[in-house]
Amino acid sequence: MNQIPTEMLTILIESTQEVFEMMVFQPLGSQTPIEGEALRPRSNVVGTVAFAGDRSGVVAFYSTTATAQAITGAMLGIPAADVNGEMPDAIGEITNMIAGTFRTKMAAAGSRWAISVPTVTIGSDFYTKYVSDVRRVLCPFTMGENDEIFVELILTLN
Amino acid sequence: MRFLVVDDSTTMRRIIINTLNKVGYQNCAEAANGREGMDRLTEFGADIVITDWNMPEMSGIEFIRAIRANAATKDLPVLMVTTNAAKDDIVEALRAGINSYVVKPFTPDTIKQKIEAMLAH
Repeated sequence: MNQIPTEMLTILIESTQEVFEMMVFQPLGSQTPIEGEALRPRSNVVGTVAFAGDRSGVVAFYSTTATAQAITGAMLGIPAADVNGEMPDAIGEITNMIAGTFRTKMAAAGSRWAISVPTVTIGSDFYTKYVSDVRRVLCPFTMGENDEIFVELILTLN
Repeated sequence: MRFLVVDDSTTMRRIIINTLNKVGYQNCAEAANGREGMDRLTEFGADIVITDWNMPEMSGIEFIRAIRANAATKDLPVLMVTTNAAKDDIVEALRAGINSYVVKPFTPDTIKQKIEAMLAH
C-alpha cells in the first residue's frame, strides 16, 4: 500500500467536521489534503491519538495557541480570553473525539482497531518525527474567518 | 435528583454538568475514574451515574461491573457517554450493565432525551 485510501481521508474529514459542529458549535471548511512530509503547519498545540489493529497509525490535531483557546472557550461556553488551564485537556478531548469517531466509522466499513488515550504537546519549536515507515496526509480546515486547524492521518505501512 | 459524572477529562465533565444544569439538574458530583466514582457513590450516593468508558485506574466498564456487583448500587441507572461506538463496543457495554448509551460527540438535547427516557423507566 503506497497511498492512504481516499475513503479513509473522507471519513476522517467527516469525523472532524462532525466533532466541531456538535462540540465546538463551529462548522469547518475543508480544504485540499496535503500528502507527504513537505509541508507541516506552524502550530503550537498538537494533540495525538494512536491507533492499532487492522491498521496502525496516529491521528494528530494541530492549531495555534489562540485557536486552541477559542476552541476551548466555545466548548465550555466561556469567552476565549477567560480560558486558563483548561486548554490542554479540551484539545486532548477534541483529538480523542475525532479519533474515536473516525474509529467508529472505519469499524462500520470493516476495519477494526483500538485507540490510545490522547497526548497534547504545547510549545513553539518542535517537529514530530515517526520512526517507522509511514504515509502522512494533512487535512487543512478553516474555522470562522481567521482560524485554521489541521488534522493529520499518519498510517504505518507494516 | 443527584447525578454522578465520571470522566477523566475535566472538559467533558464540565460540558456534561453544564448540560445537566441547563435542563434543571443542579445536584451533580464528579469523579475522574471508576475508582473515584465508587468512592463518591459510597460517600454521597447518586440517583443516576453518567460515565465515560476509557479512563485510567478503573475503566467505565469495570466501574459498571463494580456498581452491579454491589448490593447498595446494583439497580442504579447508568448512562455511558463515550467515543466507543462500534457495534461490538455497544454489546460489551450492554453486557456490563449500562441502561443507556450516548456517543461523543453529542448535542445537549441527546443527553437530555436519554436522561428523560431513563427516568421514565
